[in-house]
Amino acid sequence: MKVSLFITCMCDIITSNVGKDTVELLERLGCEVDFPDAQTCCGQPAFTSGYLEESKKAMKQMMRAFKDSEFVVGPSGSCVGMLREYPKIFAGDPEWEKEANNLAAKSYEITQFLVDVLGVTDIGSTFKGKVTYHPSCHMTRILGIRDAPYTLLKHVQGVDLIELPIKEDCCGFGGTFAVKNSVISGEMVKEKSLHVSETGAEYLVGGDMACLLNIGGRMTREGKNVKIAHITEILNHHQ
Amino acid sequence: MSIKISNAPYNERVQEGVKNDFMRKAVASAQGRFRSGRQKQADELGNWEDWRTLGEEIRTHTLRNIDYYLEILSENVSKRGGNVFFAKTAEEANEYIQHIIKKKNAKKVVKSKSMVTEEIGLNDALAEVGAEVVESDLGEWILQLDEDLPSHIVTPALHKNKEQVRETFAVKKGYEQSDKPEELASFARQQLRQEFLAADVGITGCNFAVAESGAVTFVTNEGNARMVTTIPDTQISVMGMERIVPTWEELDILVSLLTRAAVGQKLTSYITSITGTRLEGESDGPEEYHLVIVDNGRSKILGTEFQSALHCIRCAACINVCPVYRHVGGHAYGSIYPGPIGAVITPLLDGYEDHKELPYASSLCGACTEVCPVKIPLHEQLIRHRQIIVERENKGNKMEKLAMKGFAKWASSPAAYKLSAAAARPALQPWSKNEMIKSGPGPLKGWTINRDFPAPAKQTFRSWYKNRQKGREV
Amino acid sequence: MAIQNRDSFLDSLAANLGRPRRTQGIERPKWSVSPQFEVLNQASKDELIDVLKKQCEVIHTDFKRTDRTDLVKVLRETIEGYNGKVIVASSDSRNEEYGLDNFYKSAAEDFDVHLWDETMWKENQVFAERADVGITFSDITLAESGTVTLFNNKYNGRSISLMPRTYIAIIPKHTIVPRMTQATRQLHEAHISGNAVSSCVSFVTGPSNSADIEMNLIVGVHGPVEVTYIVVDD
Repeated sequence: MKVSLFITCMCDIITSNVGKDTVELLERLGCEVDFPDAQTCCGQPAFTSGYLEESKKAMKQMMRAFKDSEFVVGPSGSCVGMLREYPKIFAGDPEWEKEANNLAAKSYEITQFLVDVLGVTDIGSTFKGKVTYHPSCHMTRILGIRDAPYTLLKHVQGVDLIELPIKEDCCGFGGTFAVKNSVISGEMVKEKSLHVSETGAEYLVGGDMACLLNIGGRMTREGKNVKIAHITEILNHHQ
Repeated sequence: MSIKISNAPYNERVQEGVKNDFMRKAVASAQGRFRSGRQKQADELGNWEDWRTLGEEIRTHTLRNIDYYLEILSENVSKRGGNVFFAKTAEEANEYIQHIIKKKNAKKVVKSKSMVTEEIGLNDALAEVGAEVVESDLGEWILQLDEDLPSHIVTPALHKNKEQVRETFAVKKGYEQSDKPEELASFARQQLRQEFLAADVGITGCNFAVAESGAVTFVTNEGNARMVTTIPDTQISVMGMERIVPTWEELDILVSLLTRAAVGQKLTSYITSITGTRLEGESDGPEEYHLVIVDNGRSKILGTEFQSALHCIRCAACINVCPVYRHVGGHAYGSIYPGPIGAVITPLLDGYEDHKELPYASSLCGACTEVCPVKIPLHEQLIRHRQIIVERENKGNKMEKLAMKGFAKWASSPAAYKLSAAAARPALQPWSKNEMIKSGPGPLKGWTINRDFPAPAKQTFRSWYKNRQKGREV
Repeated sequence: MAIQNRDSFLDSLAANLGRPRRTQGIERPKWSVSPQFEVLNQASKDELIDVLKKQCEVIHTDFKRTDRTDLVKVLRETIEGYNGKVIVASSDSRNEEYGLDNFYKSAAEDFDVHLWDETMWKENQVFAERADVGITFSDITLAESGTVTLFNNKYNGRSISLMPRTYIAIIPKHTIVPRMTQATRQLHEAHISGNAVSSCVSFVTGPSNSADIEMNLIVGVHGPVEVTYIVVDD
């Protein structure tokens, strides 16, 4: 199966190891992975801030970059969620509507792709440690992915998966919200950090690096010794 | 009062909310209970999504034909002896009600809880014509005695603790017992019973009016709306114009959605539907009845992309799941309508000028949209507000605007993107220590007030990938 | 009665909706789903009574079940259990059918009984205000929510189920339906067939309550503090 990696700008620039894990994981499962070099950012930072015209420029670039892809798979519920919103944004646009529908229809978040498209639940990976999982908002509520990450994690040998209290609550990231409403965002992430501590987990796992950087950044600020790990890191682990 | 409830700047209101530990604990605990109650009811039905679909279809149809249904309603109320007054503005509604109060020479008015009367500032208007107004909902009565404002549309005194309530009762009403909620409520029952009996006029809001027969329905637990509609000889119901259903059959659905979504009850203790005046031979109920149908900015929303915001049935489910509301409380919104729905409708009803921060008071997590029993896409409407603030109102932050212009150039040009991606790490080097940024420059500053940010990776993904491909080709 | 400002108000709504004003010919569409009819749709009357009984625990309501023979006995016990001295009851035509007429007459020795009397006008309310027990029949009983539906009229005042400290609803078994859906359908159909709706329809679900002080549930605020449902087998 031919898969185009949608790296997301954050995982391209800040946390590139996530991309490596994603590529290795897909290849191990027999996918032929390519990386369309013209991809940039999904446009979400501008879109959610109200800069529709600016965000559309980014979106058009993404549609151009993935025009010929069969499947587009990315390690982020939120960024893939943005691609899935393109049809609404370009509805009625004679030039782009079709492209938007085309991209949205073939785009998948990585855990969703593994479980729903490849039909895999056990990757055959091993990871020893106490783990809790934060189901990020856009992954859950926009993409409707509720079970796939848990299904995959439960099949990893050695993982002691502990439920995160009030897991569905937002971590307070929210794109520019974290900067614009830093007081409220700060209170939200403090609460999330508290909930993570309550689990006693050594690793906080998630499917969106932005949320993990938010929570993880708070936890290091508080001097807590909880490591963050993107779910692909756990799934691509073998000892 | 009106929609706007504070002159303090947004940031100040937020700070004040965040600092109020008691309020935050109370709100967090209340949200927990509301959420589990709502969830339990949804789970028990098993087909909650069908109920939401039905709720949405009913609201959509009704709003699209609202002129028709309001006409039918007014005919039916009139046939049953009620007067109907259509008020375009808050002022028109208040003047009409003042006129009735004066005509009746009313000294005492007893009210049941109503958001729309808060919205139009009715109590102040009644005071102007010398009528004493008594709020009879326990929470509203507490706030009235304490000269405080509601912070939640269903449980208005959520931010107050029982010690504060005891103190208020003691100072204002000579209360001498403990701060046990039962004793406080029992005292309120005795006091308010006398008020009901002495009232010249009763004023209610309206949860839903049934167009086909003219029944105006109230959803309560305490029974105060029943008292108000049973005892005084003159009664006035004030309804927001969108609070209407075609027939009794749709009333069933919306009431079922409301009580479940609001308080996790299958039905509240009292669902009371009154139609016009009392009939011949009846000893209770109104001899004179007025229904005041209020626009006050709602019609501006009709026919716009925000029309579905008028579907709102004021259940507060969105408020009860909102993490922003949990940390700042209701007063921080500076509007009589707080939370996600407040952030959507306040700028629509009262303009962007005073409320332009509200659409940003959301992380867009979508929890509100997920629970809304009539499927209002709340978080999407918040984004749409942001677009309007930026594009039409031109009230966006100037620096942000520049940054977004830059973003568009960056993200639409792979070459520019690649250059900057490679430059990110060296650019942030001065602020990085042990691969972590503790205090960042520019926009990163807002982030690093509360948390660390990692230094960009030593090698971008795309450069790793390129090298890997090269290695393979060799 | 007067309707003021209607045309200008409704015309402007139509204008905002971008079409001419609609004054007729609007039909409710056929909704795509109807989950309300699925609730308890297979349940027998006895099963519905079980549902009602269980729901009574949730709504802080005492549940009793009896037959016509023992109704008076159960009613008396309930009143005595409430320490009731002053009783206000509806002057329902069913009083005779269920033997309550005689009970109210004979009980006059032990209790101060007032049957709602249209000729007594506001005296009814005064009496209800000082009564400690109110008694009415349920017209339609909703099993799912534990609700008695009262069609208030000149024989069955709004105050009876509202103002006394305690309230007793007598529920003939045949009045039990799955949920509010059946009651509102009945109201809708009655309206269509030209029967005027009661000036007040009260759906009463247990005692009054409030959670306005620190979200603590307080049972008994403005309305009754205690409620008993007596289901009577037909």
